[in-house]
Amino acid sequence: MSGVNLNKQNGNPAPAAQPVKKTRADILHEQMVRNGEIKPVVKFNRGMFALKAGIILAVITIIAVVASWRVNVLENNLLLGDKAEALFDQSYAPVYRAVKLGAIVLGALYLIYAVIRFIAPRRRKPNRSVFGDIGIYLMLTLVAVAMAFPLVFSIGSSLKPLDELFRFPPTVFPRQVTLDNFSDLFVTMGQSWVPFTRYITNTVLITFVGTFGHLIIASMAAFVLAKYDFPGGRTFFNVVVTCLMFSGYVTGIPNYVIMSRLKMIDTYWAVLLPAFAAPIGLFLMKQFMEGLPNSLIEAAHLDGAGEFRIFWNIVMPNVKPAWLTLIIFSVQGLWNTNAATVIYSEAKKTLVYALQQIQAGGIARTGQAAAVTVIVMLVPITIFILSQSQILETMASSGLKD
Amino acid sequence: MSTNSTVSYLSIRREKIKYGWTKAKRMKVCYLFILPYALLFFTFFILPIVTSIYYSFTNYNILERPKFVGFQNYINLVLQDEVFLTAVRNTFVIAVITGPIGYMLSFIFAWFINELPRWLRTIAVVVFYAPSIAGNAYYIFSIIFKGDVYGYLNSFLVQFGFVNSPILWLTDPKYIMPVLIIVILWMSMGTGFLSFVAGLQGVDRSMYEAGYVDGIRNRWQELFYITLPSMKPMLLFGAIMAITNAFNVCDVPRALAGYPSTDYAARTIVTHLFDYGFSRFEMGYASAIATVLFVVMILSKKGVQGLLRRIGE
Repeated sequence: MSGVNLNKQNGNPAPAAQPVKKTRADILHEQMVRNGEIKPVVKFNRGMFALKAGIILAVITIIAVVASWRVNVLENNLLLGDKAEALFDQSYAPVYRAVKLGAIVLGALYLIYAVIRFIAPRRRKPNRSVFGDIGIYLMLTLVAVAMAFPLVFSIGSSLKPLDELFRFPPTVFPRQVTLDNFSDLFVTMGQSWVPFTRYITNTVLITFVGTFGHLIIASMAAFVLAKYDFPGGRTFFNVVVTCLMFSGYVTGIPNYVIMSRLKMIDTYWAVLLPAFAAPIGLFLMKQFMEGLPNSLIEAAHLDGAGEFRIFWNIVMPNVKPAWLTLIIFSVQGLWNTNAATVIYSEAKKTLVYALQQIQAGGIARTGQAAAVTVIVMLVPITIFILSQSQILETMASSGLKD
Repeated sequence: MSTNSTVSYLSIRREKIKYGWTKAKRMKVCYLFILPYALLFFTFFILPIVTSIYYSFTNYNILERPKFVGFQNYINLVLQDEVFLTAVRNTFVIAVITGPIGYMLSFIFAWFINELPRWLRTIAVVVFYAPSIAGNAYYIFSIIFKGDVYGYLNSFLVQFGFVNSPILWLTDPKYIMPVLIIVILWMSMGTGFLSFVAGLQGVDRSMYEAGYVDGIRNRWQELFYITLPSMKPMLLFGAIMAITNAFNVCDVPRALAGYPSTDYAARTIVTHLFDYGFSRFEMGYASAIATVLFVVMILSKKGVQGLLRRIGE
């Protein structure tokens, strides 16, 4: 930070009208340019660059098209007869093929480069090479395609008619888009033993109550853990962090025993109560609340507000991103529970459980199974897309001090 | 001398306890706030762990009272239960491969994504994070890896002549594990990944400028000298999430390889536990399995914590 002050003393009084704030790196860069240590950076002109890139790409495309046209002509000649000419031309075939391939590869690489230059910040960051950027973009594109493929494939399958589902070779995208699978799914649902709306009601109820209770209970605990230093508080938090690791399955067996002792098997409480106490919610909320200034709470104390008023009227309105994150994590978790181990009566089962039963219906239900996958996955993904920035804001404080 | 110091130690200790007690009394309201959560947390997270340790020394089938059998469950686990040993081996193979690799990939891709312009970053985060929240979307892998030629991978391999007959990816014990590892890696960009993305955006910009002045010349040096040390808290959180994902593998093998799978090739510790707990109701035995898993997870967390302490030193 002393460097910034130094610059001010060096007769750089920074008049109020100065539009761009210079960083230390900028100043150093200018010095190095002046001393001739590095070449000055020519200002990047977007329009000119686009024109240049367009011309180069057009030339490459023309070469590729001509080469591929020649390859086609050669192959046709070979098929149509005219042996002498065909054999003569055949000697050129590898050349044309190589030119075609080379032009395509070169064009693709240049296109990536041009796109990066065009969309990336005009003034490049220090310590970043263009080739490194190309590598990163290539890598990210490849992996992103691989990550998205199964999801796209399941959406594609859910839109395929039955004959396309068992086509050889299988395709990713349907040739004939149909919503038959979804309407079949509704027919199957209609035939279920318990009315299907029942499953939906159950899931909505569990999700709503579970999320609401979790939010209130976890926030209350997080508030005192984050803002007050009381005996046992830190130990408690450490225990919660350790319990982040234990999934529902590992504690499932003893949990079942405890539930049966509490006579809660086959009631919603068996799903709801553990969800109220989910460690991840308390953890994220506490970490986020630690970022709130203490002065806020002290001021409220001086004004004579009680702890609960402080919590409800001052702290909670200030942690909206964490709220939303808690809600979303909780909704995702509860939406996906099938709760098959603690709920036995059919009338109390969840939507995901019912859908999974349809999914397990074997080959004849392949299309419906894909439709189920799509329905189940769209809800959490949509919620995440809508609330991405708040979640990331919360996650920024998720770090764990050792 | 020694008695003297003991006395003073004891008196300090007593003072401390007294001080803590008065403090606790003054902060009564804190305990009131934490009470509902603590109660539930104790009942459904701590108590299960404690009872599971207790039941692991008993023979318990829910109907009869638990009978104390000492270490018999553990002895059976190691000496008689060959399937458990398979499960342990599988779990460790999965954990050792998907844990560190998934963790590193999460960080590397978060780091790459951080270089993107804002609007691209948003899309990339969604694409990478989606698989881990997509419910049971891993089900689609049972079509991709299907054993006949209508499976996506098989049709591809047969069409291009890599193999002559379709491979039974999910039934042949040789191939089950690699397939599972791929699917689990696909789902490994979870909460830890989000934490990395958010943490990278929070690294102080002036640190990079200072680093540039101090002679850092490429992005790798930047990563090792500036980014990683200031990401330590997120790295620890991500590690805990990675351990969770690596050891709690249960749904994926059950959905893809069947339950039970061929030759128990896809048996993991958690599916084994599930089998004994919810199919055979041998709660004592299942609790012993759970206890083993608790210990392993806590130990690996300690190990990772130790490793992370060394970063940037």
